[in-house]
Amino acid sequence: MNGRLFLQQVLNGLAIGSVYAIFALGYTLIFSVLRIINFTHGAIFTLGAYATYALTGSQFGINGLLAGATLPVRLPFVLALLGGSLVSAVSGVIVERLAFRPLRTRGADPLLTLVSSLGVAVALVNVTQYLFGAEPYSFPDPLSELPSAVNFGTAGQPVLVRTVQVVIFGVSIVMLVLLTYLMNATRTGKALRAVAEDTTTSSLLGIDTDRLILLTFVISGFLGGVTGTLIGLSVGIAGPYFGIAFGLKGLAVIVLGGLGDIPGAVVGGLVIGLAEAFVPAQYIAYREAVPFALLFLVLLVRPQGLLGRAQVQKV
Amino acid sequence: MATFLATYDFLLVSMALAAVLALTLYLPLMAGQLSVASPGFYALGGYVAAILSTKVFHPAPGLYPVSLVLIEMAVAAVVSGILGIAVGLPALRLRGIFLALATIAFVQILGVVALNLDVTGGAIGIFGIPQPFGSQLQYMWLAIPLLLLSMLFVARLERTRTGRALIALREDELAAAAMGVDPTYHKVLAFTASAVLAGAVGAISAHFINTWNSRQGTFDTSVNLMAFVLVGGSRTFVGPVVGGLVLTALPEALRGVADVGGLPPWFAQFLRDGRLIIFGVLIALGTVFFPHGLITPGLLGRLGLGRRTGRV
Amino acid sequence: MSRHFASFAVMVALVAVMAGAVVSGALVGHAADPIPIGVSVAQTGPVALAGQEQVLGAQIAEEYFNKHGGVNGRPIKLVFQDGGSDEPTAINAFQNLINVAKVVGIMGPSLSQQAFAADPFAVRAKVPVIGPSNTAKGIPQIGEFVSRVSSPVAIVAPNAVKAAMEINKNLKKVAVLYAQNDAFNKSETETFQQTVKDLKLDLATVQTFQTTDTDFTAQVTNVLNVNPDLVIISGLQVDGANLVKQLRDLGYKGLIVGGNGVNTAAIFPICKAKCDGILIAQAYSPAYKSKINDEFKSVYKDKQKKDPPQFSAQAFAGIQVFVEALRALDKKSPLAKMDLATLRVELNKQLIAGTYDTPLGEISFSTGPGMGGEIVQKQAYVAQIKMEPDGTKGTFVFVK
Repeated sequence: MNGRLFLQQVLNGLAIGSVYAIFALGYTLIFSVLRIINFTHGAIFTLGAYATYALTGSQFGINGLLAGATLPVRLPFVLALLGGSLVSAVSGVIVERLAFRPLRTRGADPLLTLVSSLGVAVALVNVTQYLFGAEPYSFPDPLSELPSAVNFGTAGQPVLVRTVQVVIFGVSIVMLVLLTYLMNATRTGKALRAVAEDTTTSSLLGIDTDRLILLTFVISGFLGGVTGTLIGLSVGIAGPYFGIAFGLKGLAVIVLGGLGDIPGAVVGGLVIGLAEAFVPAQYIAYREAVPFALLFLVLLVRPQGLLGRAQVQKV
Repeated sequence: MATFLATYDFLLVSMALAAVLALTLYLPLMAGQLSVASPGFYALGGYVAAILSTKVFHPAPGLYPVSLVLIEMAVAAVVSGILGIAVGLPALRLRGIFLALATIAFVQILGVVALNLDVTGGAIGIFGIPQPFGSQLQYMWLAIPLLLLSMLFVARLERTRTGRALIALREDELAAAAMGVDPTYHKVLAFTASAVLAGAVGAISAHFINTWNSRQGTFDTSVNLMAFVLVGGSRTFVGPVVGGLVLTALPEALRGVADVGGLPPWFAQFLRDGRLIIFGVLIALGTVFFPHGLITPGLLGRLGLGRRTGRV
Repeated sequence: MSRHFASFAVMVALVAVMAGAVVSGALVGHAADPIPIGVSVAQTGPVALAGQEQVLGAQIAEEYFNKHGGVNGRPIKLVFQDGGSDEPTAINAFQNLINVAKVVGIMGPSLSQQAFAADPFAVRAKVPVIGPSNTAKGIPQIGEFVSRVSSPVAIVAPNAVKAAMEINKNLKKVAVLYAQNDAFNKSETETFQQTVKDLKLDLATVQTFQTTDTDFTAQVTNVLNVNPDLVIISGLQVDGANLVKQLRDLGYKGLIVGGNGVNTAAIFPICKAKCDGILIAQAYSPAYKSKINDEFKSVYKDKQKKDPPQFSAQAFAGIQVFVEALRALDKKSPLAKMDLATLRVELNKQLIAGTYDTPLGEISFSTGPGMGGEIVQKQAYVAQIKMEPDGTKGTFVFVK
């Protein structure tokens, strides 16, 4: 195991992992406040990517109901990104109002909410396909001026990481810092944590739980939109189903890090990314099993995840 | 009638098999455990039958003997049972969402293994699986007795001590344990019974769809099973059965409705292609308006079926 | 109280829908005049991209042949039933086409795995099936009524490797990557790996991925580590294109051979300028000069503003085989006088026996005991992708 290969694999792991991390942040935020797993995150992140695509003035292909449609605007990428993420945020709120709120007011089992979110995710993804067709799309590339990869090694011994992945890593750290600041240092954050602890008591204490839950979905949806767009930048929008595969791996990430733990989402993502990067070349066929094997192991050995606190069972 | 049977024979048997699979989710649920591991054992059972019938047993040409299918089912059941105990013992110490996640992980790992072994044929899978019957409808000879037997088994289970222990665990695990009910033993029992049943269904299915590969028995199947139970009814065994029957038929019924002449073309096309949208919306609506599913013990009581015991 | 009534009402409604399906099934027959041909491809689900291209090819064929006299004066009518991306949906679609729509033949399904499941049903019902895109080994061997117009992988793949060797005479080390969760790609890679060995090249590493993967950093690192002269990729459009892009981003400068799954302009938006130079063994080339290919191309270009992809061309060819076989059969013995069962059997015999001048080139079928028609395709194509510098437009340039 020479030094260069080792460094390459570490950087690969961080790159792969940061993609998982930004996805998991929105996922775990909902869990941290509401104790539910929101499968629609994958569908909403896809919607965000499509919305950004539309806002850059690009055209949709031939296959959906909206064949050949374009918006009359041509926003630069960053503005389109913000716009697209707003669309996801709004979608998240709509989903919350229509699907989750009724379940919450009836005190439904979180497992029921999980199934409901699955149903909504399936419906959303297929509506997206119905409207836009199944073709892959690519954003007009804002990073095309930059070289495609960054060299962390030397000219003779290159250790390359794709530029867009460096960007994603940077964004994940920024998001982590912002979210942690929000949760720990602001009043809103304290209120959110109170709601997470006990919804009834919080509302008795005068906290507007409904508005806060709405806020949670807005933030989570916005994060999802940013994630979808950035990943779409890195690998193209692969089609309406491209969010669903992340939903499953995302589960492994948030459990590994600790369900509901925000830094845990990033740690979990990076750990899984590193594990995947270090799979020896001859076993690469089993790489897909790695996140789930880790998930299984963590559940058996330390279900609260790497950063979570052990749950105390109250009788 | 003949056209109906010829068109829908495959669907009818699929419905029956889906109802049995729904029961495999219901069994651990009786003990309050959401385990979506059944698709893994279903896949395993299918591979057992596929490998035995194509590589081990070398029957004469013509129809494959039903007795061999029954043997395959038995072998599949035993293998699934053993794996069920092996996986269940460590996994069932987990509760609630953690157990659900562990079983999701289990199914994913099995899928990757199936893609990589030579004996399972990798992505191509195993095809040309011999047929024990001349027509698809005759698979009912296997599917219906299996369904009735499993329904009978579960119905009786609810009345025995073991069944009551499972229900006690569902209501309050700590209290039940304090009262002397061994949680691990009972949970593993339900889990293993579920695995055995799923393996048997898998064995039949491999013959039924002529081919078996890693795309049978995946997370998508788990989603379907959850829909069957949660929409059909999670508090009585009739629920999952009805859920399995109805929700399996639904996409194809929508296809049939789309074929009715006289519908505006965009609507007919939507019914055909939008089946998955409708399915997803139905699941979401179902969980909101019918959280215990359509079939509840209360409903059965009102219809004059079912016992007066059992809480709603 | 009302809760229980509501549940009951929903159940009754669901049962009514299914009853409606029953009744409708019994009443719908096919109109006497147009000849119904079934099409069952993946219109929904993860494979819908391929399916939608196939639908388009089939629709163009329907218009084209009806404009040119149909079957000796009688038009054809395509009946579409979504085969989805999984086996049971394909089976149900086939059942519907065979028993309800009462088609004379079926074109489909999209995936080889679906064919292994659904084709036996057609064989039992004695209905001819033409696979437009099933390329795994063993498809026509499923039964006498199963044929395909998609060249099996074993024939097409080696040409591209040979073309690569002509471009780089010092080619020695090869890295092979393939999508392990797809039957077609698994078959194709076995052929590629065998070809590499047969040509006495050094197979330095074999890496796998999933068709749903988007990140290939680990595989690319493993490939670059062995310093290959040639990389062979068996994947589908999106994963294949992303893999190429990431190989190039991370510094790979050698030759790339792409399998049949990336033989489509749909990869251009993803790898853009980096798609340049990929060698592809094709079962279809838009550059092939023939009257019917030119006409097919121009109709397609009018609708889509780009060259037709392989899936569309193969779907067109499939319908063409049905139409021309029906015409030939009608001349021998008038179709109007045959009952459906006889018509299906005779059509199957006729289509296997014919030769056809399609956009794919000149094709015919070879057969044997217990099997249907295995395509014999006269033309084989290797193309190299040439991208414009800005990366938006590209063409497949004929190499040999």
